[in-house]
Amino acid sequence: MKSQLLSVFAGAAFAWGALAAQAAAQTKEITFWSHWAAEWPKRNFVESAIADFEAKNPGTKVKATWYEKNALYAALKTALRAGQAPDIFYAEPDQVEYLENGFLLDLSELNWDAVEPWAKEVWTYNGKPYGLPIEAWTVELYYNKKMLDELGVKLPENLQLSPDAFLDVVKKAKAKGITPMSLGAGDRPFTGAQLVHEALLKKLGVEDYSKLLAGKLQWSDPRVVEALTWVRSLTDAGLLPATFTTMKLAESHIYFHTNPGALTFLNGSFYTSRAFNPVDKGGQPADFPLGIMQYPAVPGAVCNECRTITVGGSYVANAETEHKAEVIKFLNSFLTPDLGNRWLENVKVQTGIKSDPSQLKDKQAAEYFAMIAKTNAGTKYHFGLPIQVMSGKPKEVFTQVFNNAFPAGNISVEDAIKEMEAAY
Amino acid sequence: MPTFRANLLRGGVRQPWGTIVAFLLPAITFYVALTAYPAVRTIWNSFHKVLPRREEFVGIANYSELIQDEIFWKAVRNTVTWASVSPVIEVTVALLLALALYAKVPGARFLRVAWFTPVLMSYIVVGILWMWIYNYDWGPLNVLLRAIGLGKFAQPWLGSPDTALASLIVVTSWMWVGFNMVVLLAALHSLPKDVVEAAELDNCGWLAKLVFVIISLIRATLLNLVVLSFIGKMKIFDLVWITTKGNPLWSTETVSTYVYKRAFEWTTFDLGYPSTIAMVWFVIVLGAVLLLTWLFRMREKLEY
Repeated sequence: MKSQLLSVFAGAAFAWGALAAQAAAQTKEITFWSHWAAEWPKRNFVESAIADFEAKNPGTKVKATWYEKNALYAALKTALRAGQAPDIFYAEPDQVEYLENGFLLDLSELNWDAVEPWAKEVWTYNGKPYGLPIEAWTVELYYNKKMLDELGVKLPENLQLSPDAFLDVVKKAKAKGITPMSLGAGDRPFTGAQLVHEALLKKLGVEDYSKLLAGKLQWSDPRVVEALTWVRSLTDAGLLPATFTTMKLAESHIYFHTNPGALTFLNGSFYTSRAFNPVDKGGQPADFPLGIMQYPAVPGAVCNECRTITVGGSYVANAETEHKAEVIKFLNSFLTPDLGNRWLENVKVQTGIKSDPSQLKDKQAAEYFAMIAKTNAGTKYHFGLPIQVMSGKPKEVFTQVFNNAFPAGNISVEDAIKEMEAAY
Repeated sequence: MPTFRANLLRGGVRQPWGTIVAFLLPAITFYVALTAYPAVRTIWNSFHKVLPRREEFVGIANYSELIQDEIFWKAVRNTVTWASVSPVIEVTVALLLALALYAKVPGARFLRVAWFTPVLMSYIVVGILWMWIYNYDWGPLNVLLRAIGLGKFAQPWLGSPDTALASLIVVTSWMWVGFNMVVLLAALHSLPKDVVEAAELDNCGWLAKLVFVIISLIRATLLNLVVLSFIGKMKIFDLVWITTKGNPLWSTETVSTYVYKRAFEWTTFDLGYPSTIAMVWFVIVLGAVLLLTWLFRMREKLEY
C-alpha cells in the first residue's frame, strides 16, 4: 500500500514537473528595466502597453523592473559589462557609450513609418536606428498670465518679446518684488543652461550652433560673445532667483506656480508631468493662469524662430538578447497612433511616436497641446541639448560653466569663453 | 621537559598544516578577493584603456593625461585644503568642548549628548539638513543675518565659488567635533591624577597646566585624531555628492567625486583613467600620512 502511494505521488510530481517545464518552454520572458518608477503617468502608460502586448501575445511575458534614473544607469553599467543586462532598457540619446561599445541591437526592423522622422534621426548611429523614442520635448517659456497683465505687458501676435521689451519686463517685475524667471540648476545638468543655449541657437542659427557645440566654431566668435553679453545683461538685471544654483527641478516648478510665484519659467515641455498633478502632489493650483510665450528675440539673431527639441526617455534593446523576435514585436507594439495619443492624453508631453493631438479627449491635455502648437508654429528646430551632443571634457565644462556658474553671475563672459576654448 | 620549539627543531612535532590552512583560508580568501585583487587590478587598469570586452595597453598615457588634467588639480587643491583645515578646527574645538565637560560645566551630561549627536547622522541627512540651513531665501543662517542687520552678508552659501568649500568644511567640522570631543574626554579622564595634583601644588596657573601638563599628556590622542580626520577628509565623497556635486565651477570638487564622475558619468565605459586617478591619489594620501607621522615623531604611539 505504502509503495503504491509513493508511486502515485511520484507519478503526479513527474506529470506536474513535465507540464510546468512545457509551459515554461512555451512562455518566453522578456526582461525590461525602466526609469519612471515614481512618474506615475509615464509608468501607467508603459504598464498599460505591456498589458495590451501580453493579452495579444499569450506566449510572451514582459518582466518589468522600475528604477529612478541614476540607480538605473548605475545598475546598467555593471550589468552590461557583466553580460547580464535585460532584453530591453531605458536610455536617452546622449548615452553614446552604449552605441560605441556595441551594446545596442539594431532596430531597423521596427515600423519606423509610425515614428516622427526627427525622432528617428536622433537615435540614428552609423546609419542605423537604435532607440525607440517615446518621450520628446521642446524648450518652452511658461508665464503667469495674471502677473503679466498686472505689469501692463501685452504680448505681440507671434508671442515673442523683443530684447528690449523683455529686459523692460524683467526690470518691471523686479521693481514689484516679483522674480522674473524661475530656474534652478541644483539637480540637473541642463536646466540652467537652457537660458544660454537658446540664446546661442537663435543668435547663430542651427548650422553654426551645431558647429559651436562640436568645437568647429570658436567660442570667442563675436556672435557668441554678443549673445552671452545679452544673457548677462538679463541676469545682471535680476532675472533669476538668488537660489538658482541650488534650486532643484521640482522646487523650481513650485517656485513658479505656487510659492513665492515667478513671472516666467523656462523649462522643457515636460512641465505637465509635475504641474498637472494634483496640488497636494506638487501640481499647480487649479485656477493657475498658465501661458506660453516664445523665448525672447536675441539682438542681431539670425534665427529667432529656432528652438531646441530633444528626445528624452527611450527604449533600446540589448544586442545580446536571446529573444530578438519578441523584443522587436514588443517595441513595435508601441508604434501605433493609438499608443501615441494615449501617451499625449495621459502624460501630456510630446512623443516621438506619430500621434494626432486634435483627437485628444482630455480637455486639459487638448488645451495644453494647442498652446504648444501655437508657440511652435513656424519653428525651426535644433535636435538635442548641448549635453546630448557633447561628450567628455567639453560636456563637463559646459555643464559647470553654463548650467550653473554663468547664469548665477559667478563667472564673466570672457572667463566663460576661455574655459570653453580650453575644453576642446 | 622539552619545549615545543625544541621539538620542532628536532623534527619531533609535525606541523599541523591542515589546521593552519583551515584557520587561515577564510581570512586569506576574503583578503585576496576584496583587498589584494582589487588593488592589483587597479594598478593594472591604470596602464590600460579598460572597455567592455576589450582592454588596450596604453603605457603611461593615462598618467600623462592626468598631469595635464586641470579639473583633477582643482580637485586635489580642494581636497588638500579640506584635509588640512578640518582637522585643526575639529580637534581644537573638540578639545575646548572636552575641557568644558571635564570641568563639569552646568548641563554637562546634556551637552555631551547634544554635541555628540551629529556624528550619529549619515552624511545624507547632514547634507540635506545643511542645505536647508544654507538656503538663501529662508535658511536659518541668512534669516539670522537679516534679523541682526547683517543682511548684506546673506548669500547662497553653497552656490558661490567663494563660499561653497568653506561652507562644506563647516559642515564636516560640526559633524565630527562631537566624536573628537568624546575621545578627548576619555583621554582627559584617564590622566594620572598625581601629575595634575602635583602641578596644582606647585601653584601652576590654569594656562600653564593646560599647555604643559594636560595637552602634553594627551598629545598622542590629539595627533591620532588629527591623522584620522586628515585621512577621512582626503576621501570625502558623500557630503559633496548630496549637496553640490562639485559645483559651482569645481569649487567643491574632491578627488573622490572626480573619480566617480570619470568612471560613471563621463559617457564612457573606460575604467583605466579613473583607476589612474585612484592610484595617484592613493600614493599621495599614503605619502602625506607618512609625512605627518614623521613630522609628529610619534610613530610608535600613533594607532591608525
